[in-house]
Amino acid sequence: MRQLFPHPRLSLQRRLALALAGCVTACWLAGTVAAGFVLREEISEVFDSALQEVAQGVLPLAYAEILERGTDGPPDSAPNRVASVGPHREYIAYIVRNAAGRVLLMSHDADLAMFPSTIQPGFADGPVTRLYTEAAIRGTLFVTSAERPGHRRATVVQATRMLVWPLGVLLPLIAAVIWLLVARSFRPIGAFQRAIEARGGGNLTPVDTSALSVEIAPAAEAVNQLIERLKQALEGERRFTANSAHELRTPVAAALAQTQRLLAELPDGQSHDRATAIEAALRRLTRLSEKLLQLAKAESGRLKADRPQDLAQALSLVLADLQGTPGVEDRLIVEVPESGTFLSWLDIDAFAILARNLIENAVRHGDMSKPVHVSLTAGGLLRVSNSGRVVPVDSLALMTKAFQRGNTNADGAGIGLAIVAAIAEGIGTRLELRSPAPGMVDGFEASVLLPKAPC
Amino acid sequence: MRVLLVEDDTLLGAAVRDQIAADGHSVDWATRLDAASDHLRVATYQLILLDLMLPDGQGLDFLRRRRLAGDDTPVIILTARDQISDRIAGLNGGADDYLVKPFDLSELTARLGAVARRYAGNPNPIVRLGELQVDMAGRSVQRAGRRVALTAREWALFEALLQHPHQLLSKAQLEERLYSFDTEIESNTIEVYVGRLRKKVGHAMIETVRGMGYRLGQSVATDSTGDR
Repeated sequence: MRQLFPHPRLSLQRRLALALAGCVTACWLAGTVAAGFVLREEISEVFDSALQEVAQGVLPLAYAEILERGTDGPPDSAPNRVASVGPHREYIAYIVRNAAGRVLLMSHDADLAMFPSTIQPGFADGPVTRLYTEAAIRGTLFVTSAERPGHRRATVVQATRMLVWPLGVLLPLIAAVIWLLVARSFRPIGAFQRAIEARGGGNLTPVDTSALSVEIAPAAEAVNQLIERLKQALEGERRFTANSAHELRTPVAAALAQTQRLLAELPDGQSHDRATAIEAALRRLTRLSEKLLQLAKAESGRLKADRPQDLAQALSLVLADLQGTPGVEDRLIVEVPESGTFLSWLDIDAFAILARNLIENAVRHGDMSKPVHVSLTAGGLLRVSNSGRVVPVDSLALMTKAFQRGNTNADGAGIGLAIVAAIAEGIGTRLELRSPAPGMVDGFEASVLLPKAPC
Repeated sequence: MRVLLVEDDTLLGAAVRDQIAADGHSVDWATRLDAASDHLRVATYQLILLDLMLPDGQGLDFLRRRRLAGDDTPVIILTARDQISDRIAGLNGGADDYLVKPFDLSELTARLGAVARRYAGNPNPIVRLGELQVDMAGRSVQRAGRRVALTAREWALFEALLQHPHQLLSKAQLEERLYSFDTEIESNTIEVYVGRLRKKVGHAMIETVRGMGYRLGQSVATDSTGDR
């Protein structure tokens, strides 16, 4: 079966508006056709009656006229035309004939071609028109009335046309009214759609379904149930990530601390070297597990806070924490908004992960003798730039992929920028990477525009 | 200084305890909050290292209660909670520093020293004392430009005096700072260590107040130190 609307992306609102307008048009046209048929019957009756009335009305007058003239006149004399009272178009003409078929009298506009030569009383359809013949004086005098050709049909057509033309004016109006009514009916569905679109990892609250119609409400409830299941799954994943972080950190901390105590107690030699190797492996394990857990958090979607967070304060804590890291020392040059605060809906922990990774990346891979610039503008642009070798464009594109490391010998898991990119994507923004850094001949700059909360 | 370590993981706790002891400080180690409370009732600590998740409660609640009760002993939180919001909660709860596991023991030592110096009112790690120049962070002493080697115990005693310049510290106070509950102390231990320290940093540096205790020599002008 062919679809009425084969285009699958046509909106329901447009489908309904087109369908309703089409139905109204079809019904109107069907009604007009039916009315046309009825009208034709009624008009035929009226016109037939008029023909009969004319013939019967003319008959005594014609008889009186012929009597007055005394005879039928000479057989070759021309028929008399009844003078017109005033100039007008004659829709019904008549002729008066004798039994021999000779025309004795005719109306002023009568055309003899409209009348057949044979005389047959009653109604008849002539060659071009409808006729009525009335006989009198025992079949010696006949009055035949005839309509002007096409008059009856033209009348029906004109009446039918009068029924159709308002449709041309009303149809756009009907379509517009239907469009508005359907749009109004669909408004709660639109609001529902926008509410669903606004839902993401950071907002998994149920959608309000109270304004929805009974047809849509069950689907909306199903969506809410889906959101609830998603929320539970994500919460489970988050709990797992948080618990994993905690459960992993303590034994790794114990192993690292015990190894460091062992190193302190062992004399130099093979055993000391082995303990050093274990310590290095534990440090790598620590960094990798930390980054993997950060990536899990970044991708788990809980990136939006319940209320605005001061990211400038979080940045200062991250910077304070990093001050103790080897390689940082006095290299950080920091700019924050004059107000000292920047309020955002971004979750403060996600921001800390983002900022820490960008700064660690710059510290680790930048020129160790040059400073690292960290700036957070009042508009929410976080920029971290460092001096150092220019990164080729094709390498820049790969840097946000997990475990893709740039052309560097520096220590790192190759996952930091992937974490930042995942967080940026989760909050609907992008991690921009540039090399050389803007305003410099070399180096690297990473920037993210953070979502600003209204003050 | 005397440190109270509150940590339920025995392997980690043992390593931390050994590190602090190797730095010359005395350590009491509690694996539960109720044990920590018992320790605090009977001894004075210069610093508390506090884990957050303990078998009998949350370290942060314990810290808040202590602060409400007016206890201002410096506290460094040692925790596996690495989120910045946890850090903010810890610092707002009254912690002086926050160290996330796993950490380097050398970093722990550095933070311990930094917090102790801040509490003593002198965050500057370099202290000049007559002909002595003391690097509190590096734990090194130079006398007239020459390095003086101190053992961990000698350093701990000297640091205690440096943190309270011109203040009289009784023998009992010094013993408490230098020794934990499980240490057997000989009756003349403090005198022995004071004697060794005097030989290295100068006799005039440590004054003995007979029957009362010891103090950093009043005749020695100190620079960039002050009372809390």
